[in-house]
Amino acid sequence: MAAARTDNLWWLPPVITTRGQEADKIFYFIFWLTTVVFIVTQILLIYYCVKYRYRKGKKAVYSHGNNKFEIIWTITPTLIFFGLFFWSNHVWKEFHETPPADAITIEVTAEQYGFNMRYPGPDGILGKAEDSSMSKDNKLGLDANDPAGKDDFTTYNDMTIPVGKPIHLLIRSRDVIHAFYVPVFRLYQDMVPGRTINWVWFVTTEVGNHELACNQLCGKGHYNMKAKISIVTEDEYKKWLQGFLPEPQPVVMIKQ
Amino acid sequence: MASGIFTRTATGSHDQTVKRGIFMSSIATTESHTPQPDASHGEHKLGFFRTYIFSTDHKMIGLQYLFTSLFFLLIGGFLALLVRWQIGFPNTPLPILGQFLREPYVIDAIIQPAFYNMLFTMHATIMVFLVIMPLLIGAFGNFLIPLHIGAKDMAFPVLNGVSYWLYFVSGAIMLSSFFVTGGSANSGWTAYAPLSAVATYNLTQQGQSLWILGIFVNGLASIAGAINYITTILLMRAPGLGLFKMSLTVWSLFVTSVLLLLAVPVLSAAGCMLYFDLNYGTSFFLPQGGGDPLLWQHLFWFFGHPEVYIMILPAMGIVSDVLAAFARKPIFGYKAMVYAMVLIGLLGFIVWGHHMFVSGMSLVLSEWFAASTMLIAVPSAIKVFNWLGTIWGGNIRFNTPMLFALGFVSMFIIGGLSGIFLASTPVDLFVHHTYFVVAHFHYVLFGGSMFAMYSGVYFWYPKMFGKMFDETLGKIHFWLTLIFFNLTFFPMHNLGLGGMMRRIADPTVYEHLRNLQPINQFVTLAAMGLGLVQLIFFYNFFRSLLKGKPAEPNPWQATTLEWTLSHPIGHGNFQKIPTVYHGPYEYSVPGLEKDFLPQDQKLDEEETVKMTKALAAAH
Repeated sequence: MAAARTDNLWWLPPVITTRGQEADKIFYFIFWLTTVVFIVTQILLIYYCVKYRYRKGKKAVYSHGNNKFEIIWTITPTLIFFGLFFWSNHVWKEFHETPPADAITIEVTAEQYGFNMRYPGPDGILGKAEDSSMSKDNKLGLDANDPAGKDDFTTYNDMTIPVGKPIHLLIRSRDVIHAFYVPVFRLYQDMVPGRTINWVWFVTTEVGNHELACNQLCGKGHYNMKAKISIVTEDEYKKWLQGFLPEPQPVVMIKQ
Repeated sequence: MASGIFTRTATGSHDQTVKRGIFMSSIATTESHTPQPDASHGEHKLGFFRTYIFSTDHKMIGLQYLFTSLFFLLIGGFLALLVRWQIGFPNTPLPILGQFLREPYVIDAIIQPAFYNMLFTMHATIMVFLVIMPLLIGAFGNFLIPLHIGAKDMAFPVLNGVSYWLYFVSGAIMLSSFFVTGGSANSGWTAYAPLSAVATYNLTQQGQSLWILGIFVNGLASIAGAINYITTILLMRAPGLGLFKMSLTVWSLFVTSVLLLLAVPVLSAAGCMLYFDLNYGTSFFLPQGGGDPLLWQHLFWFFGHPEVYIMILPAMGIVSDVLAAFARKPIFGYKAMVYAMVLIGLLGFIVWGHHMFVSGMSLVLSEWFAASTMLIAVPSAIKVFNWLGTIWGGNIRFNTPMLFALGFVSMFIIGGLSGIFLASTPVDLFVHHTYFVVAHFHYVLFGGSMFAMYSGVYFWYPKMFGKMFDETLGKIHFWLTLIFFNLTFFPMHNLGLGGMMRRIADPTVYEHLRNLQPINQFVTLAAMGLGLVQLIFFYNFFRSLLKGKPAEPNPWQATTLEWTLSHPIGHGNFQKIPTVYHGPYEYSVPGLEKDFLPQDQKLDEEETVKMTKALAAAH
C-alpha cells in the first residue's frame, strides 16, 4: 500500500506528473498574489479601525466616494483576473490536447464501490465496449465479437503503470457518478454513467505507490472506495504484464 | 441623487391599505417627525392567533421567520458537530447521544457511514434552506423592507403570512425525514443523480422523496416572498424615496428577490423530475432510459449559483448599513455598490458551470464558464474596496453590530481570495471537492452570511423588541466566535491542500490522509468551541428579551426611516407616511449640529445655508 505522508502536512503533497507541475505554477502564483492582497487588505482594515476609532467631538470625513478610485479598483482586478484566466486556459488546453501516439490506454470503470481497470493486452488496442451492453455478467459492456478485445485483461482496484510513459484513461461508470482523484497527480475527473470520458492523460515522473480515491459521493460505501496505483519502471511493468498474457506457453504445447 | 426615471411615489398603494382598514388612524397633516405609537391600535386588537400565529403584519412575520430559523440554526449546528465528531474521531463511540440513537444509524454508539452521509446532507440542507435564506431574506426582509421604505406593510400581507407557513411546513417535512424507513436523504445537498434518483443506489427512497418535497415547498415560500418584496419595493416607497435613495439593505433584498424569482422555479422543476425518476421510473437523469446525469447538475447549479449570491447579497447590504452607521460616514461609492450588486445578480446566472469544470461536460463550456467566473469576482472586489473606503476617515464606534460587520469584511476577503484558486481550471483539478472548498464556502457562508446575520440582529434588536441586548456579552460573543471560527475553518484549507476529500466518513482509511488526523481532531475540538460560544448569543438574545434595558427609538443615531418609529410599532407602522428628502447615509454632514441627518428630516433655510457654506468650504 501507499506510504503515509511524512512531508510538511500543512502543505501540498509532492507532485509526480508533468501536468501537475504546470498546475502548481499557477497555484503558487495565486498563492502569493492572494497572500499579498490578504495582508494588505487586513492591515488596512485594522489600521483604519485604530486610526479612525471614536473620539469625542471628532467629526468623520464627509465623503460619498471618489470616482477615480472606483475606476482604479475596478480595472486593476479585471486585468489581473483576465491575465489569470488566459494563463489558466492555456494550461487547461494543453492538458486536453490529443494524447501522444505512444500513450498506453487504460479503461477505468467505476461501480459501487470499486474501480475496474481494463488493459489492452499485447495488441495495444482495447476491445469495443458499450454502456448499453452492461449487465451482471458483462460488467463492462464488452463486445465479445471484437477481436481486439480477446487479449484484454482487467484488474480490480489495482492500477499498475510505467513511469515516464503517457497514460491515457478512458473513464466510465456503471451506476452512479464516481470520481477519479489522485492528489499527487493533481488530477480530478468525475466518472459519469452513460458517457466515456476520453480526454484525461498524464505522464508520471517518479516510481512509487499511491492511492486512487473516489471523490464524488456515491453511496454508503463511498468513504472506502479506493484503489492502488503502482508506478513502476518500464521493465517491472513488462514483467507485470506477463502475468496477464491470455495464452500461456504450456497450453500451446499441449495442443501440438 | 435620485434619477428621474426611477423615482416613484406610492400614493396608489397607500389608498389600498386604507381601504383594507389596516391603517386605522386618519392621516395627520403636521410636518412633525416625532414618532407616535398607533393610538387606535387598541380598538382593533387582534386575537392571539391573528397576532402571533397567522399574522399578516410584516413585522410579526419577520419575527416568526427569525425565531424559526434560529431554532433550525441550533439543529443545523448540532448536525455539524456530529459530522465533525465522526471525522475527528471515526469509530469512536459518540458520547451520551450515541446511547439514544438506534440501529442502523448507530451501532455500539458509533456513527455508521450511511448515517454520516445523512448528517452532512441534512446539515447543508438545513443551513441553506432553513437557516440562512429565511434569516437573511425572510426575517430581515420582512421586518425591514416596509420600515425602510416608509410603507404600511407588504404589498400582499396575506401572501406574506402564507409564505412563512410554507417555510414552516418545509422545515417540518425536512425534520420528519429523519424518522422514515431508511432515514433521511443522504446524497448531499446537491443531490446528484443517479445516486439521488435510484432507490437501489441511495437506499433512502422515502427520505430522498421527502427531501425533494421539502425543497419544493420551501421554493414556494421563496417565490411568494420574492414576489412580495419586488412589488413592495417597486410600488410602495414613500414620496421622495427614489430607487437611488434606498438603503443598500433594501437594494440587496431587491436584487436577491429577482434572483430568487428566476432561479428557484428551476430547482422546483428539476426536483419534480427527480421525484419522478426516483418514484415512477422515468429517466430524466438516468442514462439507461436515455436521460443524462449532467442535466441534473446543469439545472441544479443554474439555481445553485444564483443561490450562492442569494445567501450573500443581503449580508452585504446589512453590513453596508451597519458600517456607515458606526463609522458615522456615508457609504463610499454608493452607486458603485448598487451597480456591483446588480452586476453580481446578472453575472450570477452565467457562471453556474464553474461547479462543473470536472463533471465531464464539454471542455469548451468549461473555458467559457472560467472566463465569466473571473468576471464575477470583480464586483465583489469593488465592494470590499468600498467598505474599506467607508471606514476610512470615520469616527468608528465599536459596538457589537459593528464588530460583526468588520468581522464580515475581514472573513469575506479570505473567502473571496480562496475562491480565486477554484476559479482557475487547472488548480481546480487539484482542489476540487476537497476540504479547501469546504473552507472556502464556510468562510463565505459563516464568516460572511452568519456574521452579517449576527450584525443585523444586534443592530435591529432594539427596533425589533424595544430592548437593548447586553453589550458586554455581545462583544464576548463576537471575539470568541471570530477566534473559534478561524480555528475551525482555516486549517480546512490545509487539509484540502493535503488532498483530503469532502464527504468521506472516515479519512483514516486512506494512507495519504492518516497523518493529517491530528489536524482533523484539532478542527473538531475548535468546532465544538465554536458551537458552544454561540450559546452566548442565544442566552443574550432571550435574557435581553426579559431583562434588557428599554431601547430608545434611535439608539445608534442612524438615518433610515425605521429609526423614526418608537416601540411598539403598531400595525401599519407609520402614523403618517413620511416624505424622504435625503439619501440613506447622510452621516457627519458639514455645517449641521448632529452627525446624522434622518432621511425624512427637512432642513430649514438656515440649516441649508449653513450646510451649503460648509460643503463649499470643504472643497
